[in-house]
Amino acid sequence: MPEPSQIHPASPLLRGRFQRPSWLRSGLFALFLGFFLWSLAGAGMSLQSLIQGLPNMGTIVGEMFPPATDRAQPIFEAILVTFQMALVGTGIGVILSVPMALLAARNTSPHPLVRYVTRSIISFVRTVPDLAWALFFVVSVGLGPFAGTLTIIVDTIGFCGRFFAEAFEEVDPGPSEALDSIGSRPLDRIAVVQIPCALPSMINTGLFSLEKAVRSSVVLGLVGAGGIGAELAVSMEMFRYDQAAFIIFSIFILVYLVEHFSSRMRERLLTQIR
Amino acid sequence: MNPVAQPLVQPRFVAPSMVSDSLQVEGLSKHFKGTDKAVFRDVSFSINEGQSVALIGANGAGKSTLLRCCVRLIEPDSGKVSLSGEDLSGKSGRALKKARNRVGFVFQKHCLVPRLSALTNVLHGNLAHCSGPRNWAQSLARQEDRQRAMDCLEQVGLADFAYQRCDQLSGGQSQRVAIARALMQEPSILFADEPTASLDPQSGELVMELFARLSRSRNLTVFFVSHHVEHALHYADRILGLRSSELQLDSPSHSESTASLREFYA
Repeated sequence: MPEPSQIHPASPLLRGRFQRPSWLRSGLFALFLGFFLWSLAGAGMSLQSLIQGLPNMGTIVGEMFPPATDRAQPIFEAILVTFQMALVGTGIGVILSVPMALLAARNTSPHPLVRYVTRSIISFVRTVPDLAWALFFVVSVGLGPFAGTLTIIVDTIGFCGRFFAEAFEEVDPGPSEALDSIGSRPLDRIAVVQIPCALPSMINTGLFSLEKAVRSSVVLGLVGAGGIGAELAVSMEMFRYDQAAFIIFSIFILVYLVEHFSSRMRERLLTQIR
Repeated sequence: MNPVAQPLVQPRFVAPSMVSDSLQVEGLSKHFKGTDKAVFRDVSFSINEGQSVALIGANGAGKSTLLRCCVRLIEPDSGKVSLSGEDLSGKSGRALKKARNRVGFVFQKHCLVPRLSALTNVLHGNLAHCSGPRNWAQSLARQEDRQRAMDCLEQVGLADFAYQRCDQLSGGQSQRVAIARALMQEPSILFADEPTASLDPQSGELVMELFARLSRSRNLTVFFVSHHVEHALHYADRILGLRSSELQLDSPSHSESTASLREFYA
């Protein structure tokens, strides 16, 4: 039987399976590893504290059961407000994101300068965390759900603005060029090509945004921006862990329902003919 | 197909004084920046109303560029183009777009919006004449425009597919919807850039027969680029050939043969 090398003589262009990494790469990797180990200390990682904290965790979890249903009605009302904040905030945010994204997308923006400015605004809005926006709006418009809704609007613009713009940029340029060649106007082309083609991706992003908004509106209450978060904070501070457990369970049901509904909607809307 | 195909469309060579020019090109030249060679130089020809003309040439000969320069989708370096007697040279912006609204364009790819129905896509042809939400979707359109879009689909034999999404149509059907969209413009001239290149031979024949039928029944001027010499011989009244940056062939299709045109690609 012939040796494999006789059948397929090694090509001079074929490289070895493994190659020695360059000194620069090895150095950078060592540097990263060192930084990671140093960060373990910086992040306060301590096995000892974890072990010492275990009994406390056990106590809290023990006190959580059975969950207390004595304040069920105000909690349900707060859950409803949380969902309403998320829904209205996402709805308005998605609507405002469309013109922002059109100005920010390479193929629909009227001028590179407009595109640059809009992109910068969207990036800025996205980079500032939602809790910081919530604190800003609580100070500006006062405590309550309005501050939370404004936060969700701004947060949605940061999220959807970027992804809508990317969806517009990914649209096949063919149909748009074909309609340009017959003398149609840019607004018409946006309405009949860009938006219908990007719609599946936009619906996806919008529904993800709703899920994200529901989760974040839970936390917003912690800084006084309305919703169930305030109830949770009060229960924890008053050591009513059984009440907190009920709130957490209610939040879980809300988030689960929204995610379930959003994935069903996604399936239905994406197959529909317009 | 026969090696030497007979023209399907009867030649319509009439005395020059009796017909008006649909497209007139004089001394058109184009040279892309960063290349030594001109795409084409000093090209002149005119196409009579209702004539069907094929433009042939090897890959990279500049056929598509010439077609696009005729409506200034690509800006020519020099020369003059007139559409139905209207000079396009000095026009810019809205005036140029207005001049283009009676020019139907069919591309190699159908360029339809895949998620929308065939009827809505056809309706988009009306955007050449009027802007606004009335032409964005068939559900918003005026009854007479919907009817006209349906008539255009009937002319390409796809009325039964009006409410089908375009991404569910075959390549040949999609190309016919694109032709219906061009008809919706009520064009005076139809440009087609290798309309059968991405189709199987049978669908390609159907599309070319459709062009020939439309040219006959609507007295529509058709100017198409093709790689198939058989299509040029069979479906065109006249054949233009680009080679070595020049228009080296301009003759009635019945005086050419497959062999003589194949030499053109050598």
